[in-house]
Amino acid sequence: MGDILVEVRDLYYTYSDDHDALKGISVGIRQGEKVAVVGSNGAGKSTFFLNLNGVLTPSSGEILYRGRVMGRSKKELNELRKNIGIVFQDADNQIIASTVMGEVSFGPMNLKLSREEVRERVEEALAYMNITEFRDRPPHYLSGGEKKRVSIADIIAMKPELIIFDEPTAALDPLNAGRLEHTISRLEKQGMTMLISTHDIDFAYRWADRVLVFAEGSILADGDPVAVFKDMEVLLRAHLRRPTLLDMYDLLVERGKLPDEGRYPRKVEDFAEIL
Amino acid sequence: MRVKNKKAHVGRRHAAHQHRDGMLSIDYYAYASKIRGWNPGFKVGFALGLLIFGIAADSVWVSLLIFLGMAWLTVGKGGLKLSRYISFLTVPLVFILMSSAAIACNFSFTAQGDYRLHLGFFYVYTTVEGLEQTGRIVMKALGAVSCMYMMSLSTPVTEIVNVLGRAHMPALITELMHMIYRYIFILLEVQNKMTIAAKSRLGYRDLKTSYLSFGHTLSNLLVVSMRRANAYYDALESRCYDGELCFLEEEKPLRAAQVAPATGFAAVLLAVWIWTRLG
Repeated sequence: MGDILVEVRDLYYTYSDDHDALKGISVGIRQGEKVAVVGSNGAGKSTFFLNLNGVLTPSSGEILYRGRVMGRSKKELNELRKNIGIVFQDADNQIIASTVMGEVSFGPMNLKLSREEVRERVEEALAYMNITEFRDRPPHYLSGGEKKRVSIADIIAMKPELIIFDEPTAALDPLNAGRLEHTISRLEKQGMTMLISTHDIDFAYRWADRVLVFAEGSILADGDPVAVFKDMEVLLRAHLRRPTLLDMYDLLVERGKLPDEGRYPRKVEDFAEIL
Repeated sequence: MRVKNKKAHVGRRHAAHQHRDGMLSIDYYAYASKIRGWNPGFKVGFALGLLIFGIAADSVWVSLLIFLGMAWLTVGKGGLKLSRYISFLTVPLVFILMSSAAIACNFSFTAQGDYRLHLGFFYVYTTVEGLEQTGRIVMKALGAVSCMYMMSLSTPVTEIVNVLGRAHMPALITELMHMIYRYIFILLEVQNKMTIAAKSRLGYRDLKTSYLSFGHTLSNLLVVSMRRANAYYDALESRCYDGELCFLEEEKPLRAAQVAPATGFAAVLLAVWIWTRLG
């Protein structure tokens, strides 16, 4: 694992209605880590993400990027936003331009790059997400899956260090969800640091190498997936269920069909190997 | 072949949105047009130039030529179906014919004019001169409409807005135009979904419930829009938005193959105009 990329220290955030959305969040994300963020609706995941890239201003607490405390100056905010990209849950709430190319260029244009550089990055991001043929299309002639790909290309074109996906598979059909997982694994191979919030416990269990459990604005648990999902108290308090694979494994061990070696399989392939 | 595939793709998508007709289908045909790749500034300039010239020249022949030229560009070059084009034309045509009837005809209690119709105690009459004048006005209007159709059926709204921006329209207005254009479709979709949801619960069973449901839908739409505007702003901020919307535009170079015939056409029009003035 690499150095700590982003660190959050004792972060509080309050919406205008005096209700604490985040209550003392402290966490450090290392370079190249794959972090799944789980927790019920309203647990503070999205609020945490918006704080992390400087869109929301914390009521108290610090955000450090590569060891430096980030203040609220324009320069520091832009540095945070450039390096930490958020792919929003609803692509329609993210897509602003009226053509795909215009849309993907929005981030790089805001980084004040030269036109050639912007053009290059846009082409690259479009090719990466396999949407080059839609470049002149307006977003309202795209399907849900295509819009999602555009919203990811938006962020890739900004070349961030960390990409946050806010419930990326919500509202996607299995085909597009599969494609998305493929994209994520490609990014992973390039060493991208990723934070993915999800309600898909099975996905979190097989993909992540670290799980953050949010409940009522605090981090309830932070650790490797097996440890987190074996902790029944955490699951009950956060209203989560156990991953199917973990249940199956425990059941087989309990019935004496498998030796109790603690080799918890994370993927179906691993499971097949044990059997 | 590639272009054909693309068109089929857009077509498939469009089929799913057939409830959006009228003005929005113009938007769709603009994307499907084969002359979309032409320089948008050229198309807008050419259309506006001809529009102004056609009105100023006040000649049936000039207007007729403009109409034929523009129809050829839209249908022949742009690849719009002729039947589609005619059905687009019927909308302004109905207005033009209705108002031209009012211009051509007069009422009188005594027998007057070159042609008249006796209707009980009064006459509806018209004169040759009046008919000629009406014909000129109809042709002029038709020519002007065809210019605007050539522009709007081949140039997507975004590109027209960009042309306006380059013509020094204030950024505030062009940015608003971009966002309104993007938002129209989102709002329509939300409104459509809410209407369907209301219909599925008998919200439109009679006139009174229809009014009520429509009102609820609208007030809901406002709340949804406000919430969406917030989400939108967060998404903008997270990509370093600093108060100015900048997008990369596709550069479509001006080609001699387009400019030369356009210049030729303008020269012919000018010649025809001078000839009708002399004759």
